[in-house]
Amino acid sequence: MTTEPIPLRQTIGLMHENEFGKFGENMKTMLDNQEGSARSEAGIIAMSMFFAGLLVVAFTTNPIASGTQIGERAPVFSGEAYDGTSWKSFQFDDLLDMSWTWNATEDVPWIAVEFLDTDCGHCKNAAPDMATWSQEFSGVNGAPNVVFIAIAVEFVAESSRAEIVDFRTQYENNFLFVDDLDEDIAKDWDVLATPSYFLVQPDGIVAWNSGQATNSIGWDAKEEKSIPLNGFDDGYVQLNEAIVQLMMLNGGE
Amino acid sequence: MNEYAILSIHGAIILFGVLLMSPLGSSISSIFHNKYPSTTTRRGEILSGMIFVCLGGFTVSAQTLWMHNKLSEGASVCSGNSILNCDGLIGNIAYNTDPFLGQPWGLVGMVAFTALMWLVITIAKDPMSPQTQLFIKAGLGATIAGLPIIGLLVSYEIKEGLICPFCTTAHIANIIALVGFILLAKLHDSNDWASDMKKQISKHSRK
Repeated sequence: MTTEPIPLRQTIGLMHENEFGKFGENMKTMLDNQEGSARSEAGIIAMSMFFAGLLVVAFTTNPIASGTQIGERAPVFSGEAYDGTSWKSFQFDDLLDMSWTWNATEDVPWIAVEFLDTDCGHCKNAAPDMATWSQEFSGVNGAPNVVFIAIAVEFVAESSRAEIVDFRTQYENNFLFVDDLDEDIAKDWDVLATPSYFLVQPDGIVAWNSGQATNSIGWDAKEEKSIPLNGFDDGYVQLNEAIVQLMMLNGGE
Repeated sequence: MNEYAILSIHGAIILFGVLLMSPLGSSISSIFHNKYPSTTTRRGEILSGMIFVCLGGFTVSAQTLWMHNKLSEGASVCSGNSILNCDGLIGNIAYNTDPFLGQPWGLVGMVAFTALMWLVITIAKDPMSPQTQLFIKAGLGATIAGLPIIGLLVSYEIKEGLICPFCTTAHIANIIALVGFILLAKLHDSNDWASDMKKQISKHSRK
């Protein structure tokens, strides 16, 4: 004789419904426990796998966040840049040397990034200083070696590439001017006002950010921690002061 | 070790799972028959195959998280002149985190495959539970929800003109898991879900 098998659960359910007494109730509890136990065991296995994976990643890497706060990895960008003769394509990461370390003996340049608007008064006032500093920190005769880049945005009034070229010529800012009139790079770098300055290590880590905190902290690449910087005159740290203090500290010139 | 050698390990785990889920599964699963008798059934073959697929998806996701971290340190982990390039995608801050929580996609993948693994193991451990259908539906829902996310990530690849082989492997694992849950749903609706138990009950009733 062949019988259609009745699932065990249905049988127990019937026993329970037909008041089979304590026995049916106990069987039902047992099955419920079995379900809970299966879920718990599966949970333990899955979570063990998850945390094992997470631990392996945590112990074998030392992640650095991307951003423009000190100690973070500066967002890379590309665009068209004016070098005094023509507009050419420019890649920020071409300037980086990922093998750089704080006590590197090679003369690898640091990168000073200025966000400016050709219509901004403060940017115009700072332009002569930028011209001086870009000459001063050219790596000649033991001076710090810094590549200066200006990123031209359009925060104040409508601007154009012609205005950028005129600004560069007028103030003798003889370094690259990147066209960011669409403000894509400014958004990535969280720049809300001009002028804004950043000093970036050769390996792409932001060492100083003019807009951060009290404007007097920098990144010590040797210790991998932020440190206070000293303003020479008024306590306010300017780009040139940050260059001198951080590059001397890290032996990177 | 070369990155593609490591990728082939993840791929092998997933491929083994696919073979177990395929019609070839009955012969391959024989190696598990003694220790795991449930693998003698079609249900067991699919579930064991899905465990391997989820494991492979999890390990490859963990590797992309590792790459994400290594790239942030300034290392190069999978770059080249060809279209196959992870650095340009996993290292691209515009695309390498999910837009809602800001977490690396590798971590999102790890969480997703851990959840799928939990569902699969729970079904495998108590296949006769009345909750099984709910778990299968949850698995289906989770893997289907993964499709638009995969679409978003593929759109990044198209935008950059690059293919990240590790990410693609994780995407494929999700799609295979989806197929697995569809197979489980069909099997659950058929009479073959508990064929092993039917045999046992029939044997007892003949006695």
